[in-house]
Amino acid sequence: MSFQLVHPSTPAEAVRLLSGSATGDIAVLSGGTDLLLDLDNARLAPKRVLSLRKLPWRYLRWSADSLVIGSTTPLRAVENDGEVRRRLPGLWEAIRDVGSPALRSRATLGGNLGRGSPASDLIPILLALDARVRVVGPGGVRELPVDLLLQGSRRTTLGPAELIESVTLPASAPSTYLWQRVQPVNDISQVGVATAFVPQGPHWRIALGGVQPRARRMSEAEGVLPSARPSHFEVELAAQEAARRAEFVSDKRATESYRRRLVAVLVRRAIQTTLERMSKATPSRKAKR
Amino acid sequence: MSENSLGLSLNGKPRHFEKVPDAERLLDTIRWRAGLKGTKEGCRTGDCGACMVLVNGEPTLSCLVLSREVAEEKITTIEGLSTEKVGRLVIAAFEEAGAVQCGYCTPGFVVALAAQLGGRGPPPPLETLLDGLEGNLCRCTGYLAIQKAVAAAREAI
Repeated sequence: MSFQLVHPSTPAEAVRLLSGSATGDIAVLSGGTDLLLDLDNARLAPKRVLSLRKLPWRYLRWSADSLVIGSTTPLRAVENDGEVRRRLPGLWEAIRDVGSPALRSRATLGGNLGRGSPASDLIPILLALDARVRVVGPGGVRELPVDLLLQGSRRTTLGPAELIESVTLPASAPSTYLWQRVQPVNDISQVGVATAFVPQGPHWRIALGGVQPRARRMSEAEGVLPSARPSHFEVELAAQEAARRAEFVSDKRATESYRRRLVAVLVRRAIQTTLERMSKATPSRKAKR
Repeated sequence: MSENSLGLSLNGKPRHFEKVPDAERLLDTIRWRAGLKGTKEGCRTGDCGACMVLVNGEPTLSCLVLSREVAEEKITTIEGLSTEKVGRLVIAAFEEAGAVQCGYCTPGFVVALAAQLGGRGPPPPLETLLDGLEGNLCRCTGYLAIQKAVAAAREAI
């Protein structure tokens, strides 16, 4: 394996370098925790590797109603931000479930997203939180919901010269991420379930990972939860609906029917956990009564 | 600087290496160019933690980092830690607890623990420290002694 490493220092320069290269001749390096494995096993053999290290995309920017995370921000930096844990508990949980602390000090949010793995522990929670992705490319800047970025296994709608600049999330949302694995660490999840409650519009969001062909929102199941405080029956119905509608495969980690059962259980637990977090997030209500 | 030379800040000293391919991993630069063999190669896929070093104080898997990506950062290996107070305390705690079987994973554990105990203020709770070692595997499965060493190191800080 040999390649030339290039370090553009502006997004425009990065896009220019990507535009000037044939697909397959250049690979984008963010944290590298996946890319270097692909280079090792020759799944990829680019002539050049474009490092995003010098781009000014390492930041967490809070505003009144949103959090913008720069795409090359290490997951560890997001995890270590105390506000993330308090305001977006589902995101914090999902990040903590990626690899190990040392892996997270390199791995980045943009890298995980651009990779588009169906088993990603981060994509379900980004879907549940209605994350928006800002993309730079030859045509300038565009913003799209994360749902429209994902296409299939390891495939996104990013153009060959486009880069993920940042991800925008709500500034706070009661949310939960749960997973099941053969072993708790050093393994990828058999399924992952993210739920979130957003005050505006249809309140509930349910998203699944470890399903085919890509992580997805389960709008049919969300529709079963009309109110902020669903009954036990409605929660169970939503869980069953998610399990029934999703497409699963059998592989070395789990059979199709086991994944389906896991989803039913985990969706129920995730909604219940999110409901508990909603109660905790509004302590003033009890006091007023 | 010629295209193939590489400067690194390694254990507080500037080091310079010639003819370093862009694809070279930090693990290989540390072991084969700097000759610091305390950092081990285990899985080379980021799963085992044997290759752990500190980059600006953060535990990092040196098998999954290109050397050129950290050319401007401060890198500390187990050899560097063994000359510092926290590192020495952690190493002593591992020795006293007999938390070393074949020893291959030990430098990684020491690096991961010392990073957590090196901050100002009181040491984190024991459970937090053990969580922080989640990415370090002991293939001899000598975890009980390692847990004792972690508790002892925490007391000693």
